Amino acid sequence: MKTFKTLFIGLFLIVSASTFAQTADEIISNYFENTGGLEKWQNLKGIKMSAKINQGGMEIPLEIIQLTGGKQMTVITFQGKEIKQGVFDGTTLWSTNFMTQKAEKSDQESTDNLKLDANDFPDSFLGYKEKGYTVELVGKETIDGAETFKVKLVKEPITIDGKKEDNVTYYFFDTENYVPIAIQSEIKSGPMKGQTSEIKLSDYQEVDGFYFPFTMIQGLKGQAGQPLTLDKIELNPTIDNALFLFPEETSSSKN
Amino acid sequence: MKNYFLLLACFFVLNNFSSFAQNTNTIDAKDLFGDLRARHIGPALMSGRINDLETHPKNSRIIYAGAAGGGVWKSNDAGTTFNPIFDKYAQSIGAIAIDPNDPDNTVYVGTGETWTRNSVSIGDGLYRTKDGGNSWEKLGFDKSERIANIIINPNNSSEIYVAVLGALWSDSDERGVYKSTDGGVSWTKTLYVNSKTGCSDLVIDPKNPNVLYASMWEFRRTAWSFESGGEQSALYKSIDSGKTWNKIHNGFPNGKLGRLGVAIAPSNSNILYTVIEAEEDLRKGLYRSDDAGESWKQLNNDFEITVRPFYFSRIVVDPKNPEVVVKGGLSGSISRDGGKTFKNLGNMHSDIHDVVFDIHDSDRMYVATDGGVYRSWNGGTTMEIVENLPVSQFYQISLDDAEPYNIYGGLQDNGSWYGPSSSEGGINAKDWNAIGGGDGFRVLKHPTKNIIYSEMQGAENVWRYDVDNKLVKTIQPLPLEGYAKLRFNWNAPMAVSNFKPDRIYIGSQFLHKSDDKGDTWKIISPDLTTNDKTKQEQENSGGLSMDNSGAENHTTIFTIAESPLDENIVWVGTDDGNVQVTTDGGKTWTNTVANIVGLPKNTWTYHIEASSHDKSTAYAVFEGHAHGDMNPYVFKTKDLGKSWTNIITAEVTGFARNIQEDFVNPDLLFLGTEFGLYITLDGGKSWSKFTNNMPSVAVHFIDLHPKTNDLVLATHGRGVIIIDDISPLREISPETLNETLHFFTSKPKVMVDQSGFSDSFGSETEFVGNNPSTSAQIKYLLPKRHTFGKMTMEIQDLEGNKLTTIDPGKSKGINIVNWNFTIKQPKVAKGKTFSFGGFTSPRVKEGKYKAVIVKGKDTFEHVFEVIYDKRAGLTETDRAFKYKITMKMYDMTQQLAYLVYELDATQEAVKTNKKLYASFENLKKTLVVTTGDNYVGSAEPQLREKMSDLYSKIANSYDKPSNAELDYLKLIENRFEKAKTDFEKLKEKAKVKIPLKTFDDFVNE
Repeated sequence: MKTFKTLFIGLFLIVSASTFAQTADEIISNYFENTGGLEKWQNLKGIKMSAKINQGGMEIPLEIIQLTGGKQMTVITFQGKEIKQGVFDGTTLWSTNFMTQKAEKSDQESTDNLKLDANDFPDSFLGYKEKGYTVELVGKETIDGAETFKVKLVKEPITIDGKKEDNVTYYFFDTENYVPIAIQSEIKSGPMKGQTSEIKLSDYQEVDGFYFPFTMIQGLKGQAGQPLTLDKIELNPTIDNALFLFPEETSSSKN
Repeated sequence: MKNYFLLLACFFVLNNFSSFAQNTNTIDAKDLFGDLRARHIGPALMSGRINDLETHPKNSRIIYAGAAGGGVWKSNDAGTTFNPIFDKYAQSIGAIAIDPNDPDNTVYVGTGETWTRNSVSIGDGLYRTKDGGNSWEKLGFDKSERIANIIINPNNSSEIYVAVLGALWSDSDERGVYKSTDGGVSWTKTLYVNSKTGCSDLVIDPKNPNVLYASMWEFRRTAWSFESGGEQSALYKSIDSGKTWNKIHNGFPNGKLGRLGVAIAPSNSNILYTVIEAEEDLRKGLYRSDDAGESWKQLNNDFEITVRPFYFSRIVVDPKNPEVVVKGGLSGSISRDGGKTFKNLGNMHSDIHDVVFDIHDSDRMYVATDGGVYRSWNGGTTMEIVENLPVSQFYQISLDDAEPYNIYGGLQDNGSWYGPSSSEGGINAKDWNAIGGGDGFRVLKHPTKNIIYSEMQGAENVWRYDVDNKLVKTIQPLPLEGYAKLRFNWNAPMAVSNFKPDRIYIGSQFLHKSDDKGDTWKIISPDLTTNDKTKQEQENSGGLSMDNSGAENHTTIFTIAESPLDENIVWVGTDDGNVQVTTDGGKTWTNTVANIVGLPKNTWTYHIEASSHDKSTAYAVFEGHAHGDMNPYVFKTKDLGKSWTNIITAEVTGFARNIQEDFVNPDLLFLGTEFGLYITLDGGKSWSKFTNNMPSVAVHFIDLHPKTNDLVLATHGRGVIIIDDISPLREISPETLNETLHFFTSKPKVMVDQSGFSDSFGSETEFVGNNPSTSAQIKYLLPKRHTFGKMTMEIQDLEGNKLTTIDPGKSKGINIVNWNFTIKQPKVAKGKTFSFGGFTSPRVKEGKYKAVIVKGKDTFEHVFEVIYDKRAGLTETDRAFKYKITMKMYDMTQQLAYLVYELDATQEAVKTNKKLYASFENLKKTLVVTTGDNYVGSAEPQLREKMSDLYSKIANSYDKPSNAELDYLKLIENRFEKAKTDFEKLKEKAKVKIPLKTFDDFVNE
């Protein structure tokens, strides 16, 4: 915290004194420094977020778990029942079917595409060079009235309906404090294909020396989005591995 | 953390202080629009003019469309649906080109439409993306106005050719063929003829990219004439990559030539086609060369081949078969015998500008028309329209006072229409009603009767439509004894009176007034124009091909504005630059244009806005693009035109056509230019471009709805665009900007009970316009984006009890947070499956509530009011009763949930006692479903399902609970009472003491 503060003051002075050329590398490095320090990020093994979304007056609690190696899941609780979405154990991607409440595997292409991100926890930018990703500072852009650096991240190509496509994401880092406040990418499949999705990030708060955005608004670029508000973030949680495994046999006696 | 916030707070203060200290008179609104966003409602059913189509050379799923006024659209699904990818830049598109060596990423866009009709817009240069359309860079050609082709050497992406057609209304030397050998960094003009002749078509030999063909066209438009052709029009060939060019006219007609289209057969570079506009009528038409341009033979001069060359001269050869040729035209036509004979393409919107063949299968074609993009699967015989290209080109719009209000307007070549500002399930094609043919312009609703006036070009017909009885009558003013021939503009002005509902005005060179809805007309002015005879020779217009469509009619009245404060004050503006005003209902007129300093003579008076704040105040918008003058001109008078002040600043780009004054804050003005919407908060001392979901599209007309405060834009390329409720802009001032958080005032919000049925047929591929929010909206101003620290919002009753939490907006400027009047849904008993009724959140009572924002250590409160929907017809007693029963069932649902929770826990504790366990299980089976799934495997509903379904039925109804519902409620209550008793008995038997959450903890967990 103390480091962050000093750093922030330092930055503030430098930025106001002169605007100097930035590289994407410097921006990313500042981002990690300002949000906990590179070393801390490298040692992070897992994160569990408790969140709420509000859909037309209906409050839906959910839990998001992400671990090293790409293990992840989102657990939604409806009327005391758990519905799991986007569960990935490193090999199989699956979700609970809403109608039958049974687990179903995702299509192989989506699974393969997600597998490419298995090395992205806790952040795509962490060790991006080693991962073979490229970053580029595209320019400055104003987001929500705040000046940002627009950084382009290119990861391994993904496969969409049988064809290879580039995997490009744009991050918008606030020029004042170097944290991303928006993420944009082209929607690659489904009925929205070709439109641009946008996630806005705010309410960065400290959790054990890290800074995480506690509010994420997801939607289409240029339109009002759906907010996801985090109540709590738990770092390096203990999660039973079995929870990520696809339940091969489901019997009606099991819930 | 605390220190960090203090620091931030200091920073805000300093920051604000310094930005306002510099100039206290102006407000820079650029970053303040926040959540104020443009809402696009189309329509897309008639779509709009498309200038150019391009296919990806390797991926047949990808198609690009360049609209005449609506930007660049990309399809990823072989033309089924399209998305816009060029919204920040000029929306008039001349040409699109895909780099054949990097087709996924590198795309060029040349702006400025090349089919030079009277209403054509302008471009501002050449752009390139290297990332598939996410970002674009400008590559110059700022004054090119229109770009006809871009060609990238297939063997070398650094070598690029650009065909600049150039300025339409003026001389310009930025024309001809340009070449870059360094990937667009620098350009050399390789073919230039003179300042009146541009390159209208350019092709490269794909097999030998050193060979190029360029057609040069001499052309000029004025506001009152068009001239196509001259001594300089010619077809050129270069065999040395553009270093030298030679005319290739062996076999061409004699005399002057006009616009020429040229195409090379991709499968055989020796075969070329050209379509020639010529002085000699018999020698016009399609020519073919089989020796790479050495000699030409005339093949055909059918109507479709020779019709309106300035509008249709595209020739496209099937990429696989050199004998299959398509020619743009009124209907478009296709030849399968190498151009000897043609048949028309299948039925579709007329005016065909471009055609592309699928890269794999020539049976599949895409066609660009005045009414959008069409697809064919059978070689052009049957055409189907792309239903989600909202590129409609409105000239005018008007609004009515219905709820929801309707928008009325006319379009280029697509008639007149009206449609609602919101509709069940979104605004789609079937919500729009046709209300006039031809080209549409003004469409006006009678202020009190269900009658609509509309018109077609040149007021050839002015219709009065009795909507209820479906009766149409034409009412345009007719020639009168003792008066000169009436001259109506192509886009003739009409206005309804603010004072006499049956009164309408129409302008020719005279102002016509009718007090009986158009049955009787009276001329109430002399000729108000310059009556310059040299600008009235339209029968000679067109150049080599006569083109007297009426589009060039000039020296006419173009705008009429009756003062909303005094029926005797009427303003009239003319297309030849007069600004006339009467203060005595037309007895005397004064031309005030001479009092305007800084306005070039005869600049078109496009719009006059009579102030609603002061009857001596008016705004006049002038535009001179038809003289080649692309500057915006807006002047304000406070003394009925005796003196005028310029209110345009350097921040405004593009010539301006319309201004709208706010009804509350006279310093809040909205300006439509050829490149978008500009807003001033300080009466024109500074302007900011509005870009929130708002493309840089030509805004032809603006209206402000007096009840909803919605700003409604007639765009000439992106349909109707609405900015819902602009009222927050009225309160932005240096004072409110200095507050840490400023809540905007809010009107009581109606909790709408109205609903209906919506279907989604066709919405998979059809454009559907978004509806406005029907929620209560809490609006506030933040001086800076909130990024660090916690910021939360609660809705509370006036006693401070929390009703719900909502995520507040964090943007700098205006934030809009929606609350749909509900509290959290009830906690529902856990069963095997979901009880869908339990997902219902009940609405609060009518009354005042508080929005409480906590930002860091500061708390901000705003009291607002929500009211019942009177249209539901419920009394206060009914409302109170409905609320009471709804909440009773809400509570009952939660009590049952707690009972089941307690039952589950108790049952678990007696697991070893099989008999008792079974008794609990038997009771539970009557309370919640314990088997089945959420679809067709669902179990017989139990108490939980019945209770929550009735709760949902009552909560969701507009009406008070019915007797049937109350009877059923009694039954459920009795069953619930019995369940409670049964449970108590079983609990006694179980005799276990287990730790339980309290009821409050349970329902709030």
